[in-house]
Amino acid sequence: MASVRGCNIPEDLSYNVDNNVWARREADGTVTVGLTAYACSLAGEIVAYTPKKAGKDIAKDKSCATVESGKWVGPVKTPVTGAVVAVNEAVAGKPGLINKDPYGEGWVVKMKPSDWDGESKSLKTGSAAVAAFEAKMDGEGFKGC
Amino acid sequence: MSRAWRLMDTGVRPAAENMALDRALLESCQAGAVNTLRFLRFEPSALIGFHQSASQELDLEYCRREGIAISRRITGGGALYCDQGQIGWELFVGRRTFATADMLAIARQVCGIAVEGLRSVGVDAAFRPRNDIEVAGRKIGGTGGAFDGDALLYQGTVLIDFDVERMLRVLRIPQEKLSDKAIASARERITTLRALLGEDTPSPATVQAAFVEACARGLGVTFEAGDLSASERGLYEQYKAEMARDDWVFETDRPRLEVATASAVRKTAGGLVRVMATVDTARARLKQIFITGDFFIDPRRAIVDLEAALRDVALERVDATIERFFAGRTVEMLLLTPGDLAGVVHEALRTCGIPYERVGV
Repeated sequence: MASVRGCNIPEDLSYNVDNNVWARREADGTVTVGLTAYACSLAGEIVAYTPKKAGKDIAKDKSCATVESGKWVGPVKTPVTGAVVAVNEAVAGKPGLINKDPYGEGWVVKMKPSDWDGESKSLKTGSAAVAAFEAKMDGEGFKGC
Repeated sequence: MSRAWRLMDTGVRPAAENMALDRALLESCQAGAVNTLRFLRFEPSALIGFHQSASQELDLEYCRREGIAISRRITGGGALYCDQGQIGWELFVGRRTFATADMLAIARQVCGIAVEGLRSVGVDAAFRPRNDIEVAGRKIGGTGGAFDGDALLYQGTVLIDFDVERMLRVLRIPQEKLSDKAIASARERITTLRALLGEDTPSPATVQAAFVEACARGLGVTFEAGDLSASERGLYEQYKAEMARDDWVFETDRPRLEVATASAVRKTAGGLVRVMATVDTARARLKQIFITGDFFIDPRRAIVDLEAALRDVALERVDATIERFFAGRTVEMLLLTPGDLAGVVHEALRTCGIPYERVGV
């Protein structure tokens, strides 16, 4: 697993670096979406989570959930277009799970993508993602996770 | 010379209009509009934070009976009551305004500006983590924020006058469930410019001018009075109706049953300690806590600072928070120990049916 300034950036995931979110295509064709470790570090402990309802269609780069930390409210922007097929009940009960395990138990929503093959091309993965996060952290004056 | 920021005073408005303006201006900021400082005031309103539940936080019946508007913010934080006695201030700015992307650091910097504004009208204000502006341990304003893409909204209030009694009735829990002692102690935890400055209390216009000056200095910018653009007006008209509807206000509503009250009283070697708390049982999170009693503590404000530090803390982190609080400052308590305080807090939390292991040991 790659680490950028102490933040884990798994190389097998697909990222929208600007929006600080990741996507993972699952064996059943769905896509799991979550926040990056870098996003979690900037936000601080997440204390509230309101996902869009299952069944809802959401366009790429639109909000699939809203989270709150340190009195800041902000969207989690889905990296791919699709319908929400599952929300994370464990996170609803314990939003801090997102910080604790952003790529595992702290996933944000699962989507049924409408065009994974097309849209995932614009997402970054592997060493390209690592380099893009390094540049983003540099531009944002980030010291480390 | 960089472009002057826009300065706007949208006057006294119903809550839904102010919420719609927040949303319209944040969206416009993301679309590239000039950075903006807005002052706002409210007709009597009960406002909940974005993720809060009106049924859990507010006495809805009382609000309706008294003609107090109920609304939900797009920003985070807790429920509050406001009327014409307070000034709201808010900044709509691009992220690049700040040298950091760390959200807590940004909040702290903006709060620092608000503190400077208050200091220049003659009160010894300070920032209290996580989001309060206080004077000698008493809250004089709260803050919260929202972001979307590169646009940030950070807002706060300044209490010029404040009806504590009314606030306690609007915010359901203390009124119905907590004792007179807790109500009295809530009253001790809030102050206003009027209480501090008496007949020297500045007018709203003077307070606003002090904030403009503090922002200009703190951010190195200039201001020019401006108004809503045509596109902002369009968004505002659209959201005004939307945000007045129950669909918006009650979108995040949850059963009242998920909020429990907890209390305990214990005679310790250092004196009597009384703890009253409200707990979000569905999220295993402490909402609010009051600690009172006849124990000695110096400085006295350490207790209200501890209460502030414990606000919205996950139950499993209560112990670590208390420990870190006392490790980080010099507090004299004679025979009372931080462990005693933590013990009474545990005892209280057990009374609301939270399994002990979730409270932490």
